[in-house]
Amino acid sequence: MKTRLPLLVLVAFAFPLAAQAADLAAGQAKAKEVCAACHGLDGNSATPDYPRLAGQYADYLAHTLKDYKSGRRKNPIMAGFAGALSKADIENLAAYYSAQPSALRHGTPNLAAAPGR
Amino acid sequence: MPLESHGFSPRPTRQRAAAAPIDDPSLQTMTKLNLFAAVAGIAAAVAAAEVAAQAAPAGDPVAGRQKTQMCAGCHGIEGWRTAYPEVYRVPKIVGQHPAYLVKAMQAYKTGERSHPSMRAIAGSLSDKDMADLAAFYGQAVTTVAAK
Repeated sequence: MKTRLPLLVLVAFAFPLAAQAADLAAGQAKAKEVCAACHGLDGNSATPDYPRLAGQYADYLAHTLKDYKSGRRKNPIMAGFAGALSKADIENLAAYYSAQPSALRHGTPNLAAAPGR
Repeated sequence: MPLESHGFSPRPTRQRAAAAPIDDPSLQTMTKLNLFAAVAGIAAAVAAAEVAAQAAPAGDPVAGRQKTQMCAGCHGIEGWRTAYPEVYRVPKIVGQHPAYLVKAMQAYKTGERSHPSMRAIAGSLSDKDMADLAAFYGQAVTTVAAK
C-alpha cells in the first residue's frame, strides 16, 4: 500500500497536465471571444495590417503570444489581449489557429510559374 | 522650402493684413482669398507629403524574388527551427499579407522586435527592399493556392 500512494499522486498530477496539451474546441471558443474580430475566426484575417494566423506553425504562434504577454514584443493592441491569456489559452489558441485551412505556406515559390506572368 | 517654391508663403500675407487694416471690402475679400489659398496650399502640400510617406515604395514582386537569398535559408525550409534558447518553427511567410510583412520587417529594423538574425537582416533592407519582398511573398500565395 505504501508504495502505491506516490504512484496515485503522480497519476493524479499527470492527468490535468496531459489534458492541457491542446484543446481545439477551447481554442476556438477563446478565438471567438478574443481574436476573431481582427484575425478572423478561421485566422484568415481580412485586414492587411493583421497577420493571417491560419495554418501558421503552432509553436511560432505560442511564442508570439508569450512575447506579447511578457512585453518582449511590444504592441499596444496585442499586449492587452495576450496579457489576459493563460498558458493553457495560449496553447489552445495556437493549436486551433494552426489547424485552420490557410493560404500560408513555407518555401520560396517560383514566381515565373504564376498565372499571367 | 517646397512651400515657398510653390508660391505659398502665408506669413507676408498675414503681416500685411495685421499691419494695415483694409477698408475696401473687395480688397478684404481678396486678402481672405489669398489667406485661404495659402492655407489650402499648405494643407495640400502636407497631405501630399503624407500620402507619399505612406504609400512609400510600391512593392515589385519580380524585384522581390531577386532579394530572397537572405530569407530562404530559414523561411524557405519547411519546419526550420530557431536556435536555442527559444526554439520554435520559423513562421511561414508565403501568403501572408504584404502590409503585415512590411510592418514586421520594420519592427525588426527599429528594434521593436528582437530576434537577432531578423534584426540584422531587416537592418540591411531599404523600404523598397521590404516592399518588394512583401509583394513577392504575399503575392506568391495566389500561385500556390491556385494549384
